[in-house]
Amino acid sequence: MRISTVAMSMISEFLSYPFIQRALLASVMVGILCPFVGNFVVLRRMSFFADAISHSAFAGIAAGAILGIDLSVSSVAVAILIALLIAFLSEKTSLSHDTVIGVAFSGAIATGMLIVGMLKGYRADLFTFLFGDILAITNSDLLLIFVISILTVAILLIFLKPFLQITFNSDLARVEGINVRFFEYLLFLIIAIVITVSLKIIGIILVTSLLIVPAASAKNLASSMKHLFVLSSLFGVISGIAGLAGSVYLNTSSGPTIVLVSIGIFFLTMLKRART
Amino acid sequence: MKALSVENLCVKADNRHLLENITFSVEEGRIVAIIGPNGAGKTTLIKAILGLIPYQTGSVSLFGRPFRHNKSHTKVGYVPQRLEFDRTFPLTVSELLGFTVPPIYSFPFHRKGKEKKYIDRLLKTVGAQDLRDRGIGSLSGGELQRVMIAKAIVNEPGILFLDEAASGVDIEGQEKFYDLVRRLNKEKGLTVILISHDLNVVYRFADDVLCLNRRLVCTGSPEDTLTNEVIKSVYGEMMGAYIHSCHEHD
Repeated sequence: MRISTVAMSMISEFLSYPFIQRALLASVMVGILCPFVGNFVVLRRMSFFADAISHSAFAGIAAGAILGIDLSVSSVAVAILIALLIAFLSEKTSLSHDTVIGVAFSGAIATGMLIVGMLKGYRADLFTFLFGDILAITNSDLLLIFVISILTVAILLIFLKPFLQITFNSDLARVEGINVRFFEYLLFLIIAIVITVSLKIIGIILVTSLLIVPAASAKNLASSMKHLFVLSSLFGVISGIAGLAGSVYLNTSSGPTIVLVSIGIFFLTMLKRART
Repeated sequence: MKALSVENLCVKADNRHLLENITFSVEEGRIVAIIGPNGAGKTTLIKAILGLIPYQTGSVSLFGRPFRHNKSHTKVGYVPQRLEFDRTFPLTVSELLGFTVPPIYSFPFHRKGKEKKYIDRLLKTVGAQDLRDRGIGSLSGGELQRVMIAKAIVNEPGILFLDEAASGVDIEGQEKFYDLVRRLNKEKGLTVILISHDLNVVYRFADDVLCLNRRLVCTGSPEDTLTNEVIKSVYGEMMGAYIHSCHEHD
């Protein structure tokens, strides 16, 4: 009885801090948003693309730092630019998608590193984007994540049929009258935006994990698309909340703790899948 | 009325002609088989007609109208040669068919009674009513082809393109598949353009034949067109001898 009272008082104290409340809200929103989009990344085997986009954001952040622009704005702008460039080059050249991504990826990283080398003094804000800090989330960050989450989920739900058609087989989708090119570019754009708004929470290095791991875990168990979307978001939210609580309790970095929880869930789902 | 008109179609890749000056037309309600050896351009022809690959010159009309991509596609159904998809894709047959059921821009998981009944009716038409809740990756080759036919006819197309749709399916499955195609052709007046390497299938199910070897070698009914000379000229000496021996057994 006394233990549960102590636990309750610890939880209520934990939740009384505004930065914890903001971090919880952010982890729930990103926990739903990233896996929702991540389902398409996993089903279309676009993990390398997602990785390239998150690392492109690094070039954007570096450019923002040297030009004195808001880092969120510059990272979104460069990520979108690189995403559209990859889509355009893949479509217009005979190069493989992987090659185009590889070139864009290396180019973005090299540019980012070159610019960072030119910066004077220590820039703590750059490290926030590199490794993420969910406890540093502000009210305006929360509002931005909320608006992007609502818009992204609404667009994906309205156009879910064509998006899934294209994911299943793009030739069939084209014959059925779907504008494959438009939806390809739209998906690339959505992935770029979702990655960049999640950077502050989880960081450039780990953001792809939040996109891929809960979706991959859900794919291990799901028997239908409906299950896939529900389970992936559920795993994303559980990873976010448990990872945040764990990081506060264990005094560890929030981003890696969230990702490790989601990887733990992935292995559990793999075990469950192997048993069935 | 002509369901399909192709005029002077040329497809090139790397400065090499894949198809040269292909001209033919197909009357509504006919079953037309496209035959030819590997590399003859059969799949290229269907893909060019459907706008999946570009063609350098020529024109394609469907039901008297020029065929353009992303426009007036509702009258076309297509079952590709080898359907490439991730077998672990957690997608049920009902969900797959639901993608194509109009309205396209609607939440696909909210099955209205009308849509559900439509999908059930569709699956019954192709003899796949038991497959509704099965995962697409768990279907056998024959089951998958029936589901793909159901998907191709969701929007009640006037013309159906089958690119070796029964390849990889056992003999019994192939029989069922072509019987289904014939039934759809009779009941719904569906025009069917099919590619097959199996000349027995062509003899039994096709009304007309197009022999292709980068150019159009011949057209006409299977009886008139598939003579020993034509088969030899399209497929080579061995194939001619095989067909001849089949005739002797008949």
